[in-house]
Amino acid sequence: MTRLDPRGVPLGPIPARAGIGLRSVHHDALLTERPAVGFIEAHTENYFHEGGAAVRALTRARTNYPLSLHGVGMGLGSADGLDREHLARVRQAIRRFEPALVSEHACWGHAGGEHFNDLLPLPYTDEAVELLARQVREAQDFLGVRLLIENVSAYVAFTHSRLTEWEFLAAVARESGCGLLLDVNNVYVSAQNLKVDAHAFLAGLPLNTVGEIHLAGHARQGEVLIDDHGSEVCAAVWELFAHALARFGPLPTLIEWDTDIPPLATLVAEAARADRFLGEVRGITA
Amino acid sequence: MASLRELQRSFAAALRDPGAHCAVEPAANLEVYRNTARVNFRLALAQTFPVLLKRVGAEYFQQLAHHYRARFPSRSGDLHWVGRDFAAFLDAHLAGGEYVWLADLARIEWARNEVSVATEVPAADAAVLATFAPEQLERLVFSLQPALRLVSSSYPAFSVWLANQADNASPVDQSIGSEVGMIRQHANVVEVMILPPDLFSYLSATAEGATLGVAMSAANLEGPRLSEILRFVFTSGLVSSVALADANTHRP
Repeated sequence: MTRLDPRGVPLGPIPARAGIGLRSVHHDALLTERPAVGFIEAHTENYFHEGGAAVRALTRARTNYPLSLHGVGMGLGSADGLDREHLARVRQAIRRFEPALVSEHACWGHAGGEHFNDLLPLPYTDEAVELLARQVREAQDFLGVRLLIENVSAYVAFTHSRLTEWEFLAAVARESGCGLLLDVNNVYVSAQNLKVDAHAFLAGLPLNTVGEIHLAGHARQGEVLIDDHGSEVCAAVWELFAHALARFGPLPTLIEWDTDIPPLATLVAEAARADRFLGEVRGITA
Repeated sequence: MASLRELQRSFAAALRDPGAHCAVEPAANLEVYRNTARVNFRLALAQTFPVLLKRVGAEYFQQLAHHYRARFPSRSGDLHWVGRDFAAFLDAHLAGGEYVWLADLARIEWARNEVSVATEVPAADAAVLATFAPEQLERLVFSLQPALRLVSSSYPAFSVWLANQADNASPVDQSIGSEVGMIRQHANVVEVMILPPDLFSYLSATAEGATLGVAMSAANLEGPRLSEILRFVFTSGLVSSVALADANTHRP
C-alpha cells in the first residue's frame, strides 16, 4: 500500500513493481484510466520549465503515482566537466516533483563546447572511473540525492579499455556511493554488439547496488542491434531479466518505450508481464 | 596513453567527420552515434518549427537542419532550446532569396516555444488605474505577462502560420505585405494573433518598459482609440502589474 502525504501525494521508496514512462500522448489517459502501475518515470529534461503542458501533466500524475526522474543530458562522464546550469535545473525539478528515484547514465555528452545529445560511450580505464565517480559525487552532493547510474547500450569499444564494463560500473559505484540502474536490454544489446557475456555482466555487478531495472525493445540494423526503445521486450531480454531478478531480487522495473509509442494499454500490459516475473521472485524470496 | 579528454575530443571529431580517426572498434559503428546525434537534433528542431517543416517539406527541412547544426551546434544537454538561433540562421542562409520570409515564420514558432513553457500570472484589473491621480496616469508602467511575445514581419508570416493550422492550407497572398502580432499563453492555450499596427506599437513600447505616456505617443494613440486599446489590454489579461515609474527609471 503506497503511503500518501497530507496532500495525497505518494511518499517513500518506489515499490518493487513495474512502472511505465510518462509519455505526452498518454497524459489524458493516465489521468482518466489510472492504471495500476507501480510508478511512473519521466525524463528530467522535459521538466526544466516553469510552466507548460508537460509540467502540468506531471504535477497531476504525481498525485497518483510515485515518481522516478530519469535524465539523459547530464553527461556525467564528460572530461570537460559538469554543466552547472543543467545541474541547477535538475535540482529544481527534484525539489518541485519529489521523486523517489533519480537516475542518469554512465556516459559522456559534450566536448569542446558542443553537446551531442546522446549517451556516448566511455573507455573503461582507471582515469574514466576516477572522473565519473568524482563527478557523480559532486552531482549527488549538489542535488542532495543518491543517483542511480545506468549502463548504456554500446556500439563501439575503446581500444584503451582496461576493465570490463561491469568492473567499471562496480568501481564507479564503490568510489562514488551511487547505485546502479541496470538496463537489461542495454546489457543484451551491448553483449550482442561487442561479443561480451551478458550473464558475466550480471554476475559482475555487486549485490545491493542495483536500485532499479529498465526493460525495453531494440531493433536490428544488419549486424548491429540498436537500442531504439521502439517495441516490446523480446524473449531473450525477458530471460535475462529473470536472471537479473534471481541475482538482485525484486526491484522497481520500468518498461521503456520511447518511439513508435503504443496505446497506454499496451504499456500497462508489458508492465503487468514484468510484475508476474517480480511476483515469482517475491514468492521465492518471501 | 591518450587521456580521457583526448579520447572524447577525438570521438567528437569523428562524429563530425567520418574521415577522422578514433581509437574504437568497430569504427564503422560510429555511424550509429552520428545518426543519433543528427536525428535527435533534427527531431527537436522539427518539434519546435512544425509549420515551417510542413511548409518546406521533410527533405528541405533536413537540409536546413544539417546546415543549421553545422553553424549552431547544440550547446546544452537540453534540446528544448536548440532552435534559439534558427531564425537568425535563416535570415543569413536565405538572404536575397524568395524564401527569406521563412525566418519570420521561425520567429513566430520560436515565440510559441518560449511562451508554451512560461507561466501566466494573475492579471491586473483595470480598476487599479482608479487608484492613481489623473496626473500620474501618463507615468504609469505596465508590466506585461511573462508568457507573451511580440513579432513583426515584413511578410504575411502570421497569415501563413494561421493558414497552416488546417491540413490543406491555401497559399497566402504575399502581396498582403507586412504583419505584426502577438503570441501568448492564456488559460493553458498558446494563442497566435495578428494585431493592428497601433496596438502592436503600443505593446512593443510597453514591453520595453515605456510609461503609458511614452507608449501612447509611440503608437499615436489618443481619445477613443486609446480607451479602446487600454480596455482590450486589461480585459485580455495582458497586464500583470501597474506601477508608477520612479525618477531613476530610464524610459525611451
